[in-house]
Amino acid sequence: MQFKKLFQVLVLGGAMAGAVAASACAQANAADKAKKPPADAGTTESGGGVKGW
Amino acid sequence: MTSARRAAAEAWAFRARVEQEAALRFDRLAAVVAGFDPGSPVPEMMRRAADDERRHTELCAQLAGRLGLPVALEPDTGQASIAPRSLDERQAALYEVVAACCITETESMATLTTLMAAEPDPEVRAVLHSISRDEVVHSRMGWAHLSRESAAGEVAFLAPLIPGMLAGTIDDGLFGAPPADEDPEGLLRLGVLPLQQKREVFLGTLEQVVFPGLEKFGVDPEPGRRWLARASGLG
Repeated sequence: MQFKKLFQVLVLGGAMAGAVAASACAQANAADKAKKPPADAGTTESGGGVKGW
Repeated sequence: MTSARRAAAEAWAFRARVEQEAALRFDRLAAVVAGFDPGSPVPEMMRRAADDERRHTELCAQLAGRLGLPVALEPDTGQASIAPRSLDERQAALYEVVAACCITETESMATLTTLMAAEPDPEVRAVLHSISRDEVVHSRMGWAHLSRESAAGEVAFLAPLIPGMLAGTIDDGLFGAPPADEDPEGLLRLGVLPLQQKREVFLGTLEQVVFPGLEKFGVDPEPGRRWLARASGLG
């Protein structure tokens, strides 16, 4: 298993994908925080995980 | 039926349910993330991922059926967030994205890569290949969202919550002994990792991909590392 390659493809590749329109995102986030108070949205007491393969 | 065929049929049936749940989760999270981060590419990635997961559900269910275990899937129903109640909407979305994509989809990708290298039967290989092309993107969208949230605000709150995500990811038997009748070569041919290999992939992926990735984006991996040491009997 080439974990180093997985790190590059998934983690670094994901960060690059997320960088699209990052500055627009920051502005939208600031506006969003200003107008909306946080609302409780979780549904479990301590959180859970997601089963996979 | 051989032990490997029976175990593989059960594994593929389980995967069909996992993929169905993932489709529901990604559809729901796409709407939530779009609500607070309209400039993000992640919601569109999630909507496509939901379609992928529906296709994977069919592929996994068909394979389980051909191995002798027809799968009766429940119709799509609403699915609740797995995030702790104390988190607000945005934090809860990040929690779920990290649990579902950064951890589970990354682990799935490592599993698929290992299975593809193990010379599975041609029919199984075709399914693994089809699914693995999509799972790369499903893992990436988690890291994409975490990187954006890291740049936009506070993500350190996740660190003490990582052990709960990890505990909910694994089967109870992952760190136990394999079944007495386990047939490792037969399992690999049918697209299932023997227990020892499954454990190695899980540990290696956490230690070399997930934990460094979390750390890169500002989430302290130490609580997760401590959990892993205890769970695996190394701590």
